[in-house]
Amino acid sequence: MTTRKTGGLSRRSLLTAGAGAAAATIYMPAVHSQVHELRFLNGEPAVDSVRALRVAAAQYEKERRIKVTIDTVPSGDAYTRTVSAIKGGRPYDISTLIFVAHVLTLANEGQLTPITELVNRHKWGKRILFPVNGQHYWYMYDYNLCWLFYRKDLYDSAKLEPPKTWAQLLENCRKTSGTEGGSQRFGMATPIGNNDATNWMSLAYMWADGISLFDDKWTNTFASEENRKRAAAYLDFFGEMYKTMPPGMTQAGFGTITAAYSSGQAAHAPYAGRLIEILEQRAPQLADKYGMMPYPDSAGKQAAVNHGYDGWVVGKTPMAEEAVRFLEWFSDAHYINFLHSAPLHFQPPRLDIYEDARWRAHPLIEKHAGAVKTMQGFLDDPNIVIRSVDTEGPAPDLRPAKIFESWVFPEMLQNKVLKNLSSQDCVSQAVEKMNRAIAG
Amino acid sequence: MPSRYDWVIWTVFWSGLALTALFVGGPVLDALWLSLHQASSFIAEPRFVGLANYGRVVVDPEFWRAMGNGLFYALTSIGLQVVLGIAFALVLNQTFPAQRLVRGLATLPYLLPTVVVALTFQWLSDGSVGLVTVLMRDLGFGTIPWFEQPWTARMSVVLASVWLWTPFVTICVLAGLQTIPPALYEAARVDGAGPVALFWHVTLPQLKPVLTVVVLLRGIWMFNKFDIIWLLTKGGPLGATEHLPIMAYKRAFSLFDVGGGAAVATLSFLMLSIVVTIYLRLFPLEEKR
Repeated sequence: MTTRKTGGLSRRSLLTAGAGAAAATIYMPAVHSQVHELRFLNGEPAVDSVRALRVAAAQYEKERRIKVTIDTVPSGDAYTRTVSAIKGGRPYDISTLIFVAHVLTLANEGQLTPITELVNRHKWGKRILFPVNGQHYWYMYDYNLCWLFYRKDLYDSAKLEPPKTWAQLLENCRKTSGTEGGSQRFGMATPIGNNDATNWMSLAYMWADGISLFDDKWTNTFASEENRKRAAAYLDFFGEMYKTMPPGMTQAGFGTITAAYSSGQAAHAPYAGRLIEILEQRAPQLADKYGMMPYPDSAGKQAAVNHGYDGWVVGKTPMAEEAVRFLEWFSDAHYINFLHSAPLHFQPPRLDIYEDARWRAHPLIEKHAGAVKTMQGFLDDPNIVIRSVDTEGPAPDLRPAKIFESWVFPEMLQNKVLKNLSSQDCVSQAVEKMNRAIAG
Repeated sequence: MPSRYDWVIWTVFWSGLALTALFVGGPVLDALWLSLHQASSFIAEPRFVGLANYGRVVVDPEFWRAMGNGLFYALTSIGLQVVLGIAFALVLNQTFPAQRLVRGLATLPYLLPTVVVALTFQWLSDGSVGLVTVLMRDLGFGTIPWFEQPWTARMSVVLASVWLWTPFVTICVLAGLQTIPPALYEAARVDGAGPVALFWHVTLPQLKPVLTVVVLLRGIWMFNKFDIIWLLTKGGPLGATEHLPIMAYKRAFSLFDVGGGAAVATLSFLMLSIVVTIYLRLFPLEEKR
């Protein structure tokens, strides 16, 4: 029998190979499901953070013979990706989540594995754990508290003191406005657009002044007469402060604010430790000229920082036990390595880390020891309030999350500064929108 | 007896139909099903609520505001795209040096990813350091409040959309212009028609089939356009640029109201279907015999 040859391959061998490949393709998911692999969804796309996780993954595979695959998405997309993976039948064993309502939703749907025992092994900072029905599902890796930065050199030259009240801050914003090297410098840069940045950076003045959104029985306390008055006073102050800001704040996001401060365009700006890292990288001439302070209140009695947090959850997957073991293994040296990937931005939520010489040995943490002390002080000082829209109320719940996502407070600010409505009307509209969001 | 050619046609036809059913019909039915249920997320167990989501949505003033915003955005941007697209096509249809290069450049914005256009537009219109902002300020026009006021924000997203999608109209109209027989123009000139009369009585009627399709497609696309507005404003300020697709997305993905989001999307789909049906009755794609 003659066989038609094609470059040394017979048609039969080609067909056999093709059939084999097809069979392997069909069989591959079954093989894949038996491979010991942990799937980790990372929400920190910075190259150093990804590298820290990959190093840990490689080390774990070497030690435990368990492959750890790291997928990375921007933190804002992590929940959508987590849900898509669950719907697609391949849930992540470990996922990054940055919003308390997302943890609540997944926990309530039975998609998470409790890690209470692991969490309870450490002492944590205040308001950083968000238990659901008495169980911990979230292993936090940072606080993203938001406070105010100011130009210390400008303060020194104008003989200004860090403000304790809104009026003093306003005065300092005015006095630090001016021109520098032919460019205009503005007193403050604060976002007012429909975005997370506004919710995170522009509202802590209210928390400092004692404003709350819910009481322990989930009553809308923002609608109370007292809080309405306080919120209206906050808007009066904000309206004046807005006049010291550069134009375009409706479009301002996280990057805009850091750029405004690091370029010298704004003398004050809200942010977290990332701003110091940015100054070190892009504006070293300003890296030793910054001051930090919490948001003041109206009367100088109390101050606040806006809450922020990030953490990892373990999915309810066949590899859940191994995922918990991985987190346990990770939570020592590799946890510190990961924190070092953004040394000043990833403020440790675990109190033992502050005493850990390995963590303290990072050059930026050593250099900015004063800033680190201030950051730690935010956790220790009983006169500093840590709140945010999404964490309001006695327990994790969808109600504050809906208020956060409905842009209730960004629109309250917009009504004040863009539409020039009276502060009382702005507050009334916010209360109405809040009620609609809760009911919806 | 069917020929081999017929088999090819039927295979392609049924394959296309199957793919449409799978990737278009399936999601539409899924959205319809979701709109009759209440669920806080896509992994939650949905609870049947009948038409309650629709009832909730249609009494929400934000729904009607979003509808008005969508109509304004779609009509204004289509109008500007068509007018400018025809104007550019008329210019590009003339013979001039480097005509091919200019034609290529004219299509460039359409080839760019939306995210690039949105970022470029934001960079140009930045309130403090935007190139256009600074230029206008230096020319004495003051600082343009691109996104600072509801109306300027609406016009800014329209402007960005016109910049991005006018080349599509230009390309289609240019193709249409090249099919008009020169004899028609010659005959009109013999009758004493000037340039304006030529445009109104020869060019425009001849372009009608192309324009009918272009307006239809652009109308559907602009009414459903999500990315450019989301990237530029996320629906703000004060909901001025929030239209139905953004509202549906926010409800389903941010506000833990999957059923409400699906109801908004379904209502939007129904309204668009009705408008398209009326449009096709008024401007049939095939000439009546």
